[in-house]
Amino acid sequence: MDAIADLTAEYGYEATKIGDIVKRAGVARKTLYDNFEGKEDVFLAAFDGAVEDVTGRVEAACEGAGDGWEERLQAGLSAFLDYVAEEPATARMCMVEAMSATPAATRRYEDALQRFVAMTKATAPHYEQLPETIEETLVGGVAWIVHQKLRRHEAERVGELLDELERFVLGPYRGMAAAK
Amino acid sequence: MERLPRGRHGLSRQFVAENQRERLLAALAECLHERGYEKTTVAAIGKRAAVSKSDFYKHFESKEACFYAAYDDAVERVRDCLREAREQRRAWEARVLDALEALLDLLAADPGLSRLLLVEGLRAGRGVYDRYQDALQSFVPYLREGAPAPPDGAPPPAETDEAVVGGVASLLARRALAGELERLPEFLPQIGEFVLTPYLGVAEARRIISER
Repeated sequence: MDAIADLTAEYGYEATKIGDIVKRAGVARKTLYDNFEGKEDVFLAAFDGAVEDVTGRVEAACEGAGDGWEERLQAGLSAFLDYVAEEPATARMCMVEAMSATPAATRRYEDALQRFVAMTKATAPHYEQLPETIEETLVGGVAWIVHQKLRRHEAERVGELLDELERFVLGPYRGMAAAK
Repeated sequence: MERLPRGRHGLSRQFVAENQRERLLAALAECLHERGYEKTTVAAIGKRAAVSKSDFYKHFESKEACFYAAYDDAVERVRDCLREAREQRRAWEARVLDALEALLDLLAADPGLSRLLLVEGLRAGRGVYDRYQDALQSFVPYLREGAPAPPDGAPPPAETDEAVVGGVASLLARRALAGELERLPEFLPQIGEFVLTPYLGVAEARRIISER
């Protein structure tokens, strides 16, 4: 599964062949087919694994940050950006390739975004006056910016976005808190 | 789209060609909607458009080429709609909300266009996906132009504009996937507030939306 992340990051999903995956992973073709139905299956399994990984990290960071919603959101955002910077190939596979690989991959990507939306909702304070869709748009916005960095192969610079994204994400809630 | 009468009809060659091209693009959108990109074949497009296979290849090299042309046309329709709002010399926030309203109305009124842009566009491989990305990036300056600084001081950095455009696109794509396109105009206040907040602060954004 590491092999498919590296290969799709380098060549894209379409150009990556089963033969390349087994070669890079150093396993027999038969071994691959014993475990997976084909290329899409390997891709989706790798995608799911990565999502578990990153959501686990983000959740742990929020938990560890104390009780304040601001600290928790900051910690979660920071953990997410750290993951992207540490695992650029996996991040690229999940955020760039998944969106154009296959219809099932697009669905998975949307589902993963929904998990981040749910985490944000659970962490941020609830203000009835804020739009119902606020978390969807905030998460979508963060994903988009990170995605642009990945597309330009600038994953290592994603940490530079922290301050700005923090302001973007926390802004609406801070504004409501200040208005109280 | 109506096919032209058979035989001698006195229509110019150019008219026939343009009409065919438009029919092919419309047929492609319908096929995509019904069966998705993978299962849409040149034969199916031609059949629906009542254009022969050899005529199809006079217009487009391949299914991909036809898809790219349809996609580019759809992006231009969105651009026209955004431009129109931009040309009304109104205050920044009014312009932005006008553009957003026009966009939501356009997408709700033409589900074929919306699905092509927001759903199939993401599934049909790299070439189209890059077009989607480039189109979104090209809309960012419309938002940036004349944007005010928030009440607490410094103007938002350039990437905030991108995050706002990306956030809106992501919401629209999700609604398109969920088959809720006709409800999009209802989201205007919510999306509007999200878009204005980084620039005006949440209190001012809410005031503007409520007075609209």
